[in-house]
Amino acid sequence: MKPRLPAVRPPVFRGRLHDARTATSIGRWLGVAIAVCFGTGLISHYLQHQPGWLLDVLPSRPVWGYRLSQGLHVASGIAAIPLLLAKLWTVYPRLFAWPPLRSVRHALERLSVAVLVAGAVFELFTGLLNTVQWYPWPFSFVPVHFAVAWLLAGALMLHVAVKYPEIRAHWAKESPGTLALPTADGPDRRSLLSGVAAAVGAVTLTTVGQAFTPLKFFDVLAPRHPDHGAQGLPVNRSARAAGTTQVDADAYRLTVAGPRPYTLTLAELAALTQHESVLPIACVEGWSKSAHWTGVRIAELLRRAGAPPDAGVRVISLEQYGAYRVMEMGREYAHDPLTLLALRLNGQILTADHGFPARVIAPNRPGVLQTKWVTRLEVL
Amino acid sequence: MRTVLGAAGLALMALGGVLVWDQATHWDVLIWLAGAVVLHDGLIAPLVVAVGLLTGGLKNRGLLRGTLLTGGCLVLIALPLLLRPLPTANPSVLPLDYPRGLLISLAVVVALALLLGAGRRWRGRTREADVPEK
Repeated sequence: MKPRLPAVRPPVFRGRLHDARTATSIGRWLGVAIAVCFGTGLISHYLQHQPGWLLDVLPSRPVWGYRLSQGLHVASGIAAIPLLLAKLWTVYPRLFAWPPLRSVRHALERLSVAVLVAGAVFELFTGLLNTVQWYPWPFSFVPVHFAVAWLLAGALMLHVAVKYPEIRAHWAKESPGTLALPTADGPDRRSLLSGVAAAVGAVTLTTVGQAFTPLKFFDVLAPRHPDHGAQGLPVNRSARAAGTTQVDADAYRLTVAGPRPYTLTLAELAALTQHESVLPIACVEGWSKSAHWTGVRIAELLRRAGAPPDAGVRVISLEQYGAYRVMEMGREYAHDPLTLLALRLNGQILTADHGFPARVIAPNRPGVLQTKWVTRLEVL
Repeated sequence: MRTVLGAAGLALMALGGVLVWDQATHWDVLIWLAGAVVLHDGLIAPLVVAVGLLTGGLKNRGLLRGTLLTGGCLVLIALPLLLRPLPTANPSVLPLDYPRGLLISLAVVVALALLLGAGRRWRGRTREADVPEK
Protein backbone atom coordinates (compact mmCIF):
# COMPACT_ATOMS: atom_id res chain seq x y z
CA MET A 1 0.00 0.00 0.00
CA LYS A 2 1.08 3.55 -0.56
CA PRO A 3 -1.44 5.99 0.81
CA ARG A 4 -0.82 9.65 0.10
CA LEU A 5 -1.46 12.21 2.76
CA PRO A 6 -4.69 13.98 1.99
CA ALA A 7 -4.87 17.75 1.81
CA VAL A 8 -8.25 17.98 3.53
CA ARG A 9 -9.99 16.38 6.46
CA PRO A 10 -11.31 13.78 6.80
CA PRO A 11 -8.41 11.83 5.36
CA VAL A 12 -8.97 10.04 2.09
CA PHE A 13 -7.14 6.76 1.86
CA ARG A 14 -6.10 5.93 -1.64
CA GLY A 15 -3.70 3.38 -0.24
CA ARG A 16 -4.03 -0.21 -1.16
CA LEU A 17 -4.94 -3.27 0.90
CA HIS A 18 -7.71 -1.42 2.72
CA ASP A 19 -9.98 -3.66 0.67
CA ALA A 20 -12.56 -6.31 1.32
CA ARG A 21 -10.26 -9.12 0.15
CA THR A 22 -7.62 -8.33 2.76
CA ALA A 23 -10.26 -7.74 5.43
CA THR A 24 -11.84 -11.12 4.62
CA SER A 25 -8.50 -12.98 4.59
CA ILE A 26 -7.48 -11.67 7.99
CA GLY A 27 -11.00 -11.55 9.37
CA ARG A 28 -11.66 -15.27 8.95
CA TRP A 29 -8.57 -16.14 11.01
CA LEU A 30 -9.48 -13.54 13.60
CA GLY A 31 -13.00 -14.99 13.66
CA VAL A 32 -11.61 -18.48 14.34
CA ALA A 33 -9.35 -17.16 17.12
CA ILE A 34 -12.24 -15.30 18.77
CA ALA A 35 -14.56 -18.29 18.45
CA VAL A 36 -11.98 -20.57 20.11
CA CYS A 37 -11.36 -17.96 22.78
CA PHE A 38 -15.10 -17.58 23.45
CA GLY A 39 -15.79 -21.33 23.57
CA THR A 40 -12.87 -22.13 25.86
CA GLY A 41 -13.76 -19.09 27.95
CA LEU A 42 -17.26 -20.46 28.52
CA ILE A 43 -15.83 -23.85 29.50
CA SER A 44 -13.46 -22.16 31.91
CA HIS A 45 -16.14 -19.96 33.40
CA TYR A 46 -18.61 -22.75 34.09
CA LEU A 47 -15.89 -25.02 35.49
CA GLN A 48 -14.67 -22.29 37.80
CA HIS A 49 -18.10 -21.10 38.91
CA GLN A 50 -20.06 -24.33 38.79
CA PRO A 51 -23.79 -23.72 39.00
CA GLY A 52 -25.63 -26.23 41.17
CA TRP A 53 -27.27 -28.10 38.30
CA LEU A 54 -23.87 -28.72 36.69
CA LEU A 55 -22.16 -29.96 39.83
CA ASP A 56 -22.93 -33.65 39.38
CA VAL A 57 -22.73 -33.88 35.60
CA LEU A 58 -19.33 -32.33 34.97
CA PRO A 59 -16.94 -35.07 33.85
CA SER A 60 -13.59 -35.73 35.49
CA ARG A 61 -12.13 -36.99 32.19
CA PRO A 62 -10.09 -36.43 30.12
CA VAL A 63 -7.65 -35.49 32.88
CA TRP A 64 -6.04 -32.90 30.58
CA GLY A 65 -9.34 -31.41 29.43
CA TYR A 66 -9.17 -28.19 31.42
CA ARG A 67 -5.46 -27.86 30.72
CA LEU A 68 -6.06 -27.98 26.97
CA SER A 69 -9.07 -25.71 27.13
CA GLN A 70 -7.41 -23.01 29.22
CA GLY A 71 -4.12 -23.26 27.30
CA LEU A 72 -6.09 -22.69 24.10
CA HIS A 73 -8.02 -19.81 25.66
CA VAL A 74 -4.92 -17.81 26.47
CA ALA A 75 -3.02 -18.86 23.33
CA SER A 76 -5.89 -17.94 20.99
CA GLY A 77 -6.31 -14.64 22.82
CA ILE A 78 -2.63 -13.79 22.36
CA ALA A 79 -2.69 -14.92 18.71
CA ALA A 80 -5.72 -12.68 18.16
CA ILE A 81 -3.69 -9.57 19.04
CA PRO A 82 -1.73 -9.35 15.73
CA LEU A 83 -4.82 -10.52 13.82
CA LEU A 84 -7.04 -7.85 15.37
CA LEU A 85 -4.51 -5.08 14.75
CA ALA A 86 -4.04 -6.12 11.12
CA LYS A 87 -7.77 -6.42 10.57
CA LEU A 88 -8.48 -3.03 12.10
CA TRP A 89 -5.70 -1.50 10.01
CA THR A 90 -7.29 -2.72 6.79
CA VAL A 91 -10.69 -1.26 7.69
CA TYR A 92 -9.43 1.83 9.48
CA PRO A 93 -10.22 4.23 6.58
CA ARG A 94 -13.90 3.41 6.98
CA LEU A 95 -13.82 5.25 10.28
CA PHE A 96 -13.57 8.45 8.22
CA ALA A 97 -16.44 7.65 5.86
CA TRP A 98 -18.12 10.83 4.63
CA PRO A 99 -20.87 11.69 5.33
CA PRO A 100 -20.47 9.89 8.66
CA LEU A 101 -24.06 8.64 8.73
CA ARG A 102 -25.89 7.98 5.48
CA SER A 103 -29.01 6.25 6.78
CA VAL A 104 -30.49 4.48 9.77
CA ARG A 105 -29.08 1.19 8.48
CA HIS A 106 -25.64 2.74 8.09
CA ALA A 107 -25.86 4.17 11.61
CA LEU A 108 -26.74 0.75 13.02
CA GLU A 109 -23.89 -0.85 11.11
CA ARG A 110 -21.42 1.68 12.47
CA LEU A 111 -22.78 1.18 15.97
CA SER A 112 -22.32 -2.58 15.72
CA VAL A 113 -18.76 -2.06 14.46
CA ALA A 114 -18.05 0.27 17.38
CA VAL A 115 -19.25 -2.41 19.81
CA LEU A 116 -17.15 -4.98 17.95
CA VAL A 117 -13.96 -2.90 18.13
CA ALA A 118 -14.54 -1.87 21.74
CA GLY A 119 -15.35 -5.42 22.84
CA ALA A 120 -12.41 -7.01 21.01
CA VAL A 121 -9.77 -4.54 22.21
CA PHE A 122 -11.23 -4.61 25.73
CA GLU A 123 -11.27 -8.41 25.99
CA LEU A 124 -7.72 -8.88 24.70
CA PHE A 125 -6.38 -6.04 26.84
CA THR A 126 -8.03 -7.12 30.11
CA GLY A 127 -7.20 -10.77 29.43
CA LEU A 128 -3.54 -10.03 28.81
CA LEU A 129 -3.29 -7.94 31.97
CA ASN A 130 -5.05 -10.66 33.97
CA THR A 131 -2.26 -13.10 33.05
CA VAL A 132 0.22 -10.85 34.87
CA GLN A 133 -2.27 -10.34 37.75
CA TRP A 134 -2.46 -6.59 37.10
CA TYR A 135 -5.87 -4.99 37.63
CA PRO A 136 -5.71 -1.23 37.03
CA TRP A 137 -9.49 -0.88 36.47
CA PRO A 138 -12.21 -0.15 39.03
CA PHE A 139 -14.36 -3.23 38.27
CA SER A 140 -13.81 -6.88 39.04
CA PHE A 141 -12.19 -8.81 36.23
CA VAL A 142 -14.03 -12.13 35.95
CA PRO A 143 -17.70 -11.02 35.69
CA VAL A 144 -16.88 -8.10 33.39
CA HIS A 145 -14.59 -10.13 31.10
CA PHE A 146 -17.40 -12.71 30.95
CA ALA A 147 -20.13 -10.13 30.23
CA VAL A 148 -18.18 -8.35 27.48
CA ALA A 149 -17.38 -11.74 25.90
CA TRP A 150 -21.11 -12.16 25.14
CA LEU A 151 -21.29 -8.65 23.79
CA LEU A 152 -18.30 -9.34 21.54
CA ALA A 153 -19.55 -12.75 20.37
CA GLY A 154 -22.93 -11.23 19.50
CA ALA A 155 -21.39 -8.25 17.68
CA LEU A 156 -19.18 -10.64 15.71
CA MET A 157 -22.16 -12.75 14.61
CA LEU A 158 -24.09 -9.64 13.62
CA HIS A 159 -21.07 -8.34 11.73
CA VAL A 160 -20.70 -11.59 9.77
CA ALA A 161 -24.41 -11.48 8.92
CA VAL A 162 -24.24 -7.85 7.77
CA LYS A 163 -21.03 -8.34 5.79
CA TYR A 164 -21.98 -11.71 4.33
CA PRO A 165 -22.17 -10.48 0.70
CA GLU A 166 -18.65 -8.98 0.87
CA ILE A 167 -17.30 -12.06 2.65
CA ARG A 168 -18.74 -14.34 -0.01
CA ALA A 169 -17.44 -12.15 -2.82
CA HIS A 170 -13.89 -12.18 -1.41
CA TRP A 171 -13.58 -15.53 0.38
CA ALA A 172 -11.19 -17.11 -2.15
CA LYS A 173 -8.60 -15.86 -4.60
CA GLU A 174 -10.89 -16.76 -7.49
CA SER A 175 -14.00 -15.18 -6.01
CA PRO A 176 -15.65 -12.63 -8.32
CA GLY A 177 -15.00 -9.70 -5.97
CA THR A 178 -11.35 -10.59 -5.60
CA LEU A 179 -10.85 -10.96 -9.35
CA ALA A 180 -12.17 -7.42 -9.78
CA LEU A 181 -9.41 -6.00 -7.54
CA PRO A 182 -6.20 -4.64 -9.10
CA THR A 183 -3.80 -7.56 -9.59
CA ALA A 184 -0.87 -5.27 -8.79
CA ASP A 185 -1.89 -5.49 -5.10
CA GLY A 186 -1.47 -9.27 -4.99
CA PRO A 187 2.19 -9.37 -3.92
CA ASP A 188 1.72 -6.62 -1.32
CA ARG A 189 -1.27 -8.47 0.09
CA ARG A 190 0.68 -11.71 0.24
CA SER A 191 3.53 -10.03 2.04
CA LEU A 192 1.10 -8.41 4.51
CA LEU A 193 -0.50 -11.79 5.24
CA SER A 194 2.95 -13.39 5.64
CA GLY A 195 3.89 -10.61 8.04
CA VAL A 196 0.73 -11.19 10.08
CA ALA A 197 1.41 -14.94 10.10
CA ALA A 198 4.97 -14.27 11.31
CA ALA A 199 3.67 -12.02 14.09
CA VAL A 200 1.11 -14.63 15.19
CA GLY A 201 3.85 -17.28 15.16
CA ALA A 202 6.23 -15.10 17.17
CA VAL A 203 3.79 -14.14 19.94
CA THR A 204 2.58 -17.73 20.19
CA LEU A 205 6.03 -19.30 20.29
CA THR A 206 7.31 -16.92 22.99
CA THR A 207 4.34 -17.51 25.32
CA VAL A 208 2.74 -20.91 24.72
CA GLY A 209 5.42 -22.75 26.70
CA GLN A 210 3.68 -21.66 29.92
CA ALA A 211 1.03 -24.29 29.19
CA PHE A 212 2.55 -26.45 26.45
CA THR A 213 5.68 -27.53 28.30
CA PRO A 214 7.56 -29.11 25.35
CA LEU A 215 8.05 -25.53 24.11
CA LYS A 216 9.16 -24.15 27.49
CA PHE A 217 12.60 -23.31 26.07
CA PHE A 218 10.99 -20.58 23.97
CA ASP A 219 8.82 -19.33 26.83
CA VAL A 220 10.52 -15.95 27.31
CA LEU A 221 7.55 -13.55 27.21
CA ALA A 222 4.96 -15.37 29.32
CA PRO A 223 4.21 -14.32 32.90
CA ARG A 224 4.86 -17.88 34.02
CA HIS A 225 7.52 -20.45 33.35
CA PRO A 226 6.87 -24.14 34.08
CA ASP A 227 10.19 -24.57 35.92
CA HIS A 228 9.89 -21.55 38.21
CA GLY A 229 8.13 -22.15 41.50
CA ALA A 230 8.51 -24.06 44.75
CA GLN A 231 9.08 -27.79 44.13
CA GLY A 232 9.41 -27.13 40.40
CA LEU A 233 5.81 -26.02 40.00
CA PRO A 234 4.38 -22.50 39.76
CA VAL A 235 1.89 -21.31 42.38
CA ASN A 236 -1.06 -19.00 41.97
CA ARG A 237 -2.11 -18.37 45.54
CA SER A 238 0.82 -18.15 47.87
CA ALA A 239 0.63 -19.13 51.54
CA ARG A 240 1.42 -15.52 52.43
CA ALA A 241 -1.60 -14.26 50.48
CA ALA A 242 -3.82 -16.88 52.09
CA GLY A 243 -2.52 -16.36 55.64
CA THR A 244 -1.40 -19.98 55.97
CA THR A 245 2.40 -19.75 56.16
CA GLN A 246 2.53 -21.37 59.62
CA VAL A 247 0.39 -24.49 59.91
CA ASP A 248 1.31 -26.47 63.04
CA ALA A 249 1.67 -30.09 61.90
CA ASP A 250 1.12 -31.46 65.44
CA ALA A 251 -2.06 -29.49 66.02
CA TYR A 252 -3.42 -30.20 62.53
CA ARG A 253 -6.57 -32.31 62.27
CA LEU A 254 -8.52 -33.43 59.24
CA THR A 255 -12.22 -33.70 60.05
CA VAL A 256 -14.47 -35.72 57.77
CA ALA A 257 -18.14 -34.97 58.40
CA GLY A 258 -20.77 -37.49 57.29
CA PRO A 259 -22.99 -40.25 58.69
CA ARG A 260 -19.92 -41.64 60.56
CA PRO A 261 -17.75 -38.58 61.18
CA TYR A 262 -14.12 -38.93 62.27
CA THR A 263 -10.95 -36.94 62.76
CA LEU A 264 -7.39 -37.78 61.71
CA THR A 265 -4.02 -36.40 62.73
CA LEU A 266 -1.44 -35.79 60.04
CA ALA A 267 0.40 -38.96 61.09
CA GLU A 268 -2.80 -41.02 60.82
CA LEU A 269 -3.52 -39.53 57.42
CA ALA A 270 -0.02 -40.40 56.23
CA ALA A 271 -0.44 -43.95 57.57
CA LEU A 272 -3.45 -44.62 55.30
CA THR A 273 -2.93 -46.30 51.92
CA GLN A 274 -1.17 -43.76 49.70
CA HIS A 275 -1.86 -43.56 45.97
CA GLU A 276 -0.07 -41.71 43.23
CA SER A 277 -1.69 -39.63 40.48
CA VAL A 278 0.04 -37.87 37.63
CA LEU A 279 -2.17 -34.85 37.07
CA PRO A 280 -1.73 -31.36 35.67
CA ILE A 281 -2.37 -28.26 37.67
CA ALA A 282 -3.98 -25.87 35.20
CA CYS A 283 -4.59 -22.28 36.17
CA VAL A 284 -7.37 -20.01 34.98
CA GLU A 285 -4.62 -17.56 34.04
CA GLY A 286 -3.39 -19.93 31.36
CA TRP A 287 -0.34 -21.70 32.72
CA SER A 288 -0.27 -25.41 33.45
CA LYS A 289 2.10 -28.22 34.30
CA SER A 290 1.84 -31.89 35.06
CA ALA A 291 3.15 -33.24 38.37
CA HIS A 292 3.29 -36.40 40.50
CA TRP A 293 0.98 -36.25 43.49
CA THR A 294 0.85 -38.73 46.38
CA GLY A 295 -1.92 -38.96 48.94
CA VAL A 296 -5.16 -40.56 50.05
CA ARG A 297 -8.08 -41.08 47.70
CA ILE A 298 -10.92 -38.71 48.54
CA ALA A 299 -13.39 -41.48 47.66
CA GLU A 300 -11.87 -43.71 50.39
CA LEU A 301 -12.04 -40.94 52.98
CA LEU A 302 -15.70 -40.38 52.10
CA ARG A 303 -16.55 -44.10 52.18
CA ARG A 304 -15.03 -44.38 55.66
CA ALA A 305 -17.39 -41.62 56.78
CA GLY A 306 -20.32 -43.67 55.53
CA ALA A 307 -20.96 -41.62 52.39
CA PRO A 308 -23.24 -43.12 49.74
CA PRO A 309 -21.52 -43.85 46.39
CA ASP A 310 -23.17 -40.87 44.68
CA ALA A 311 -22.16 -38.33 47.32
CA GLY A 312 -20.33 -35.15 46.49
CA VAL A 313 -18.06 -33.40 48.91
CA ARG A 314 -17.55 -29.95 50.38
CA VAL A 315 -13.92 -29.07 51.06
CA ILE A 316 -12.89 -26.41 53.56
CA SER A 317 -9.49 -24.80 53.70
CA LEU A 318 -7.51 -23.32 56.55
CA GLU A 319 -6.97 -20.20 54.47
CA GLN A 320 -8.07 -17.04 56.20
CA TYR A 321 -8.92 -14.91 53.20
CA GLY A 322 -10.15 -15.84 49.77
CA ALA A 323 -13.19 -16.57 47.65
CA TYR A 324 -12.25 -20.25 47.30
CA ARG A 325 -11.91 -21.15 50.99
CA VAL A 326 -14.92 -23.46 50.61
CA MET A 327 -15.18 -25.61 47.50
CA GLU A 328 -17.77 -28.14 46.39
CA MET A 329 -17.06 -31.10 44.21
CA GLY A 330 -19.62 -33.21 42.37
CA ARG A 331 -19.76 -36.99 42.49
CA GLU A 332 -17.82 -37.51 39.25
CA TYR A 333 -14.78 -35.79 40.73
CA ALA A 334 -15.20 -37.00 44.30
CA HIS A 335 -15.30 -40.67 43.27
CA ASP A 336 -12.64 -40.55 40.59
CA PRO A 337 -9.78 -42.84 41.71
CA LEU A 338 -7.29 -40.18 40.63
CA THR A 339 -8.76 -37.54 42.96
CA LEU A 340 -6.52 -37.29 45.98
CA LEU A 341 -6.10 -35.46 49.20
CA ALA A 342 -2.42 -35.07 48.37
CA LEU A 343 0.32 -34.92 50.99
CA ARG A 344 3.26 -34.99 48.61
CA LEU A 345 4.26 -33.34 45.36
CA ASN A 346 6.94 -34.92 43.17
CA GLY A 347 7.93 -37.14 46.10
CA GLN A 348 8.40 -34.33 48.62
CA ILE A 349 6.14 -33.15 51.42
CA LEU A 350 4.08 -30.17 50.24
CA THR A 351 5.55 -26.76 50.92
CA ALA A 352 3.36 -24.05 52.46
CA ASP A 353 2.76 -22.51 49.01
CA HIS A 354 1.56 -25.85 47.64
CA GLY A 355 -0.89 -26.35 50.49
CA PHE A 356 0.88 -28.01 53.43
CA PRO A 357 -0.23 -30.24 55.05
CA ALA A 358 -2.86 -31.49 52.55
CA ARG A 359 -4.47 -30.32 49.34
CA VAL A 360 -6.96 -31.53 46.77
CA ILE A 361 -5.81 -32.62 43.35
CA ALA A 362 -8.48 -33.78 40.91
CA PRO A 363 -8.46 -34.38 37.15
CA ASN A 364 -9.95 -31.92 34.62
CA ARG A 365 -10.44 -29.05 37.05
CA PRO A 366 -9.28 -25.43 37.30
CA GLY A 367 -6.43 -24.76 39.69
CA VAL A 368 -8.53 -22.44 41.90
CA LEU A 369 -10.68 -25.45 42.83
CA GLN A 370 -7.71 -27.65 43.75
CA THR A 371 -8.12 -26.47 47.33
CA LYS A 372 -4.97 -26.13 49.41
CA TRP A 373 -4.49 -26.32 53.23
CA VAL A 374 -7.50 -28.65 53.54
CA THR A 375 -8.80 -29.14 57.07
CA ARG A 376 -12.35 -30.42 56.65
CA LEU A 377 -14.35 -32.60 54.26
CA GLU A 378 -18.15 -32.74 54.39
CA VAL A 379 -20.19 -35.44 52.69
CA LEU A 380 -22.92 -33.86 50.56
CA MET B 1 -29.71 -18.13 7.48
CA ARG B 2 -28.18 -14.68 7.39
CA THR B 3 -31.16 -13.26 9.23
CA VAL B 4 -30.98 -16.01 11.84
CA LEU B 5 -27.27 -15.33 12.40
CA GLY B 6 -27.87 -11.60 12.68
CA ALA B 7 -30.79 -12.08 15.08
CA ALA B 8 -28.74 -14.49 17.19
CA GLY B 9 -25.96 -11.91 17.25
CA LEU B 10 -28.34 -9.24 18.44
CA ALA B 11 -29.67 -11.58 21.12
CA LEU B 12 -26.17 -12.33 22.41
CA MET B 13 -25.32 -8.63 22.37
CA ALA B 14 -28.46 -7.94 24.39
CA LEU B 15 -27.45 -10.66 26.85
CA GLY B 16 -23.95 -9.17 27.09
CA GLY B 17 -25.48 -5.73 27.59
CA VAL B 18 -27.67 -7.01 30.44
CA LEU B 19 -24.68 -8.77 32.03
CA VAL B 20 -22.64 -5.56 31.84
CA TRP B 21 -25.54 -3.51 33.21
CA ASP B 22 -25.88 -5.94 36.14
CA GLN B 23 -22.44 -4.90 37.31
CA ALA B 24 -22.49 -2.32 40.05
CA THR B 25 -19.69 -0.57 38.18
CA HIS B 26 -21.29 -0.55 34.73
CA TRP B 27 -20.39 3.10 34.05
CA ASP B 28 -16.74 2.30 34.62
CA VAL B 29 -17.02 -0.64 32.22
CA LEU B 30 -18.58 1.59 29.56
CA ILE B 31 -15.80 4.16 30.02
CA TRP B 32 -13.18 1.44 29.57
CA LEU B 33 -15.00 0.07 26.51
CA ALA B 34 -15.05 3.53 24.94
CA GLY B 35 -11.44 3.97 26.02
CA ALA B 36 -10.54 0.84 24.06
CA VAL B 37 -11.87 2.44 20.86
CA VAL B 38 -10.12 5.73 21.57
CA LEU B 39 -6.87 3.90 22.32
CA HIS B 40 -7.02 2.02 19.05
CA ASP B 41 -8.46 4.60 16.68
CA GLY B 42 -6.67 7.55 18.20
CA LEU B 43 -3.26 6.12 18.99
CA ILE B 44 -2.39 2.65 17.71
CA ALA B 45 -3.91 2.92 14.24
CA PRO B 46 -2.48 6.37 13.34
CA LEU B 47 0.93 5.17 14.51
CA VAL B 48 0.74 2.08 12.32
CA VAL B 49 -0.57 4.10 9.36
CA ALA B 50 2.32 6.55 9.78
CA VAL B 51 4.86 3.72 9.79
CA GLY B 52 3.16 2.28 6.70
CA LEU B 53 3.45 5.65 4.94
CA LEU B 54 7.11 6.06 5.86
CA THR B 55 8.00 2.65 4.50
CA GLY B 56 5.72 2.91 1.48
CA GLY B 57 8.25 3.50 -1.27
CA LEU B 58 11.09 1.38 0.02
CA LYS B 59 12.62 -1.59 -1.66
CA ASN B 60 12.03 -4.78 0.31
CA ARG B 61 9.16 -3.00 2.06
CA GLY B 62 7.19 -6.22 2.49
CA LEU B 63 9.99 -7.77 4.49
CA LEU B 64 10.59 -4.58 6.44
CA ARG B 65 6.93 -4.20 7.34
CA GLY B 66 6.67 -7.87 8.31
CA THR B 67 9.65 -7.41 10.61
CA LEU B 68 8.16 -4.26 12.16
CA LEU B 69 4.79 -5.94 12.58
CA THR B 70 6.30 -9.01 14.26
CA GLY B 71 8.61 -6.95 16.45
CA GLY B 72 5.82 -4.53 17.33
CA CYS B 73 3.51 -7.34 18.43
CA LEU B 74 6.28 -8.86 20.57
CA VAL B 75 6.79 -5.48 22.25
CA LEU B 76 3.04 -5.14 22.75
CA ILE B 77 2.65 -8.47 24.56
CA ALA B 78 5.80 -7.74 26.59
CA LEU B 79 4.52 -4.35 27.83
CA PRO B 80 2.41 -5.75 30.71
CA LEU B 81 5.41 -7.83 31.83
CA LEU B 82 7.70 -4.80 31.76
CA LEU B 83 5.32 -2.18 33.13
CA ARG B 84 3.52 -4.09 35.88
CA PRO B 85 3.96 -1.67 38.79
CA LEU B 86 4.57 -3.65 41.94
CA PRO B 87 6.33 -6.94 42.52
CA THR B 88 3.81 -9.64 43.41
CA ALA B 89 3.84 -11.51 46.72
CA ASN B 90 4.31 -14.63 44.65
CA PRO B 91 7.78 -15.45 43.29
CA SER B 92 6.43 -17.70 40.52
CA VAL B 93 4.61 -14.76 38.87
CA LEU B 94 6.93 -12.92 36.45
CA PRO B 95 9.98 -15.01 37.32
CA LEU B 96 11.98 -14.29 34.17
CA ASP B 97 14.26 -11.51 32.96
CA TYR B 98 11.78 -10.02 30.49
CA PRO B 99 13.88 -7.16 29.04
CA ARG B 100 16.43 -9.83 28.13
CA GLY B 101 13.75 -12.13 26.69
CA LEU B 102 12.31 -9.32 24.60
CA LEU B 103 15.71 -8.23 23.28
CA ILE B 104 16.63 -11.79 22.37
CA SER B 105 13.34 -12.41 20.57
CA LEU B 106 13.61 -9.10 18.68
CA ALA B 107 17.20 -9.93 17.72
CA VAL B 108 16.07 -13.32 16.40
CA VAL B 109 13.29 -11.69 14.34
CA VAL B 110 15.73 -9.15 12.84
CA ALA B 111 18.32 -11.86 12.15
CA LEU B 112 15.75 -14.06 10.40
CA ALA B 113 14.55 -11.09 8.33
CA LEU B 114 18.11 -10.24 7.30
CA LEU B 115 18.72 -13.87 6.34
CA LEU B 116 15.52 -13.94 4.34
CA GLY B 117 16.42 -10.66 2.59
CA ALA B 118 19.94 -11.87 1.84
CA GLY B 119 18.57 -15.15 0.53
CA ARG B 120 16.25 -13.33 -1.84
CA ARG B 121 18.98 -11.07 -3.11
CA TRP B 122 21.34 -14.00 -3.55
CA ARG B 123 18.81 -15.85 -5.63
CA GLY B 124 18.41 -12.69 -7.64
CA ARG B 125 14.72 -13.17 -7.68
CA THR B 126 13.50 -10.05 -5.99
CA ARG B 127 9.80 -10.44 -5.76
CA GLU B 128 7.57 -8.05 -7.55
CA ALA B 129 6.23 -6.83 -4.23
CA ASP B 130 9.57 -5.37 -3.37
CA VAL B 131 10.03 -3.36 -6.51
CA PRO B 132 9.20 0.27 -5.77
CA GLU B 133 5.89 1.43 -7.11
CA LYS B 134 5.91 3.71 -10.09
